[in-house]
Amino acid sequence: MPYELIAALMFSTMLLMMMTGQRVFGIIGFVAVVAALTLWGTGGERMGFSAAIKLMKWYPLLSLPMFVFMGFVMSEARLADDLYRMFHVWFGRVRGGLAVGTILLMVLISAMNGLSVAGMAIGSTIALPELLKRGYDKRMVTGVIQAGSSLGILIPPSVVLVLYAMIARAPVSELWMAGVLPGLLMAASFILYIVVRCALQPSLGPALTAEESAQITWAEKVGILRAGILPFTIFAAMMVPFVYGWTSLVESSVIGVLTTVAGAVLKGSFNRAVFEVATRSTLGITAMFMWVILAALSFGAVFDGLGAVKAVEALFVDRLHMGPWTILVLMQLSFLLMGMFLDDTAMLVIVAPLYVPLVATLDLGIPREDVLIWYGILYTITCQIAYLTPPFGYNLFLMRAFAPKEIAMGDIYRSVTPFVLVMIGTLALIMAFPQLALWLPNQIYPN
Amino acid sequence: MTGLASRFVRSVDRLNYGVGRMAMYLLFVLMGVLMWSTISKSVGAPSLWTLEMAQFVMVAYFVLGGPYAWQMGTHVRMDLFYARQSPVGQAWTDAFTVLALIFYLGVMLWGAIDSTAYSLQYNERSPTAWRPYMWPIKTILCIGFTLMLLQAIASLIRDIATIRGKTI
Repeated sequence: MPYELIAALMFSTMLLMMMTGQRVFGIIGFVAVVAALTLWGTGGERMGFSAAIKLMKWYPLLSLPMFVFMGFVMSEARLADDLYRMFHVWFGRVRGGLAVGTILLMVLISAMNGLSVAGMAIGSTIALPELLKRGYDKRMVTGVIQAGSSLGILIPPSVVLVLYAMIARAPVSELWMAGVLPGLLMAASFILYIVVRCALQPSLGPALTAEESAQITWAEKVGILRAGILPFTIFAAMMVPFVYGWTSLVESSVIGVLTTVAGAVLKGSFNRAVFEVATRSTLGITAMFMWVILAALSFGAVFDGLGAVKAVEALFVDRLHMGPWTILVLMQLSFLLMGMFLDDTAMLVIVAPLYVPLVATLDLGIPREDVLIWYGILYTITCQIAYLTPPFGYNLFLMRAFAPKEIAMGDIYRSVTPFVLVMIGTLALIMAFPQLALWLPNQIYPN
Repeated sequence: MTGLASRFVRSVDRLNYGVGRMAMYLLFVLMGVLMWSTISKSVGAPSLWTLEMAQFVMVAYFVLGGPYAWQMGTHVRMDLFYARQSPVGQAWTDAFTVLALIFYLGVMLWGAIDSTAYSLQYNERSPTAWRPYMWPIKTILCIGFTLMLLQAIASLIRDIATIRGKTI
């Protein structure tokens, strides 16, 4: 059997078996080890284990539990309550203003955390009930929270970019800097969408009533701005030593944890229950991700052995005779499609190694040392979209877990559509204007 | 038979809960190691051992904590169709598909035992300045895969019980 066919067979088997609803890591791992044993006989059993050793050496991944823990401390100790109140007070009088405020809240949370879990948890415990109470449209609200929290992986720090950096062998620091402007651009596009939509259909996001806004005094308005100190402290404590190279990425994430815990202790909300829930949930989430990555690495190793990289390259370049930009667009499209049906983390670990070497060889008119940084941003946005697109998306799962009963699964699925379109728009913009991603890292790290 | 099976399931649950609760606190050991690394670097005497030690702790953390995560139900599933089935329907599906998972874990354990035996036989050390022995972490991996395997088998037994209208 030709190798390409085996690779395709592996992929489709994985897809079909995942539909059964068995735990994702088990399915990926099963397909990988069966393929390895069939292809290489005994000795194939070592492949799975060498993936474990390889995973162990992915040092930057140690920041994963740190970010998860930080996120849970933030949401469980309700560190973001004041922040939400701040945006509530300042934007409440505008139509759709609370939704805009929620996006801004998500931007700040994204700057403190590297995953979308934290934003989801905080958004659904603080913003969701408040916005529903104010008569906001439920689809608008769940869409805002899911889309906003996905910024967590684009705005630094970002765990997805850490994973990408390991696969592409590109510097994490430059990738993180490259995510800043696209992240803000995307947030701005979300806000633009909300404002326009609510101006056209005021019932989706009613403004605070006159009495309510009259109750908010200027003293309160100014006083509440103090809430903004916390995110900036956490962001600076993590990012400054890292960007200057005083601490490694992982060490910075520990500093982030300590700063967050200190913030919670100062607020007087760090108690036993917070500690227990944060510690337990961190183990659950970290173990889930690591077991998936472990299986995906085995799967990737088989693909590697089959020469799938060469096959993908041959397919796009030699057989289909396509120009570099067509290839790039097709890669993003196939990636989006796979993201709908496959586990998003697994997809990152399996598909990125196939695409990254090809991107590095494409002549796109972007300097060689920049192209993988830029592609990292495209990649992350595609992941964000994958997080939101049914039937398989982490944010969808989380939303369902967090949302109250009156929000049906159909609402959650439909709520993301406009935001996904906005994201695709941002993706297209960054493809057309690579400088959006590359300008900042080139300013900070001139080569 | 049923008595034996349910005793087995309960002991596996208890064992993995206990191990998982201990593994859970390795997070703070990890933070401690990394903090020490930062401090030792800032006083100009960087430690040799922190990087690899942190890696070992992380592996122990998620491998030994894996079965406890299973008990908490955090291992993600693609549940588009799965979620719509009745509990008995889910048990039927799981009872078959978990065999794939058991096979995977079995192969992982096989590879882990091979590799650990090699490390013990040749006293394998990591090729770094600290040169730690590799067998301790590999042994932890063997234990972790075994515990996960036990949890998967326990889950299979529980599914069979559900199909037969019993609960363990």
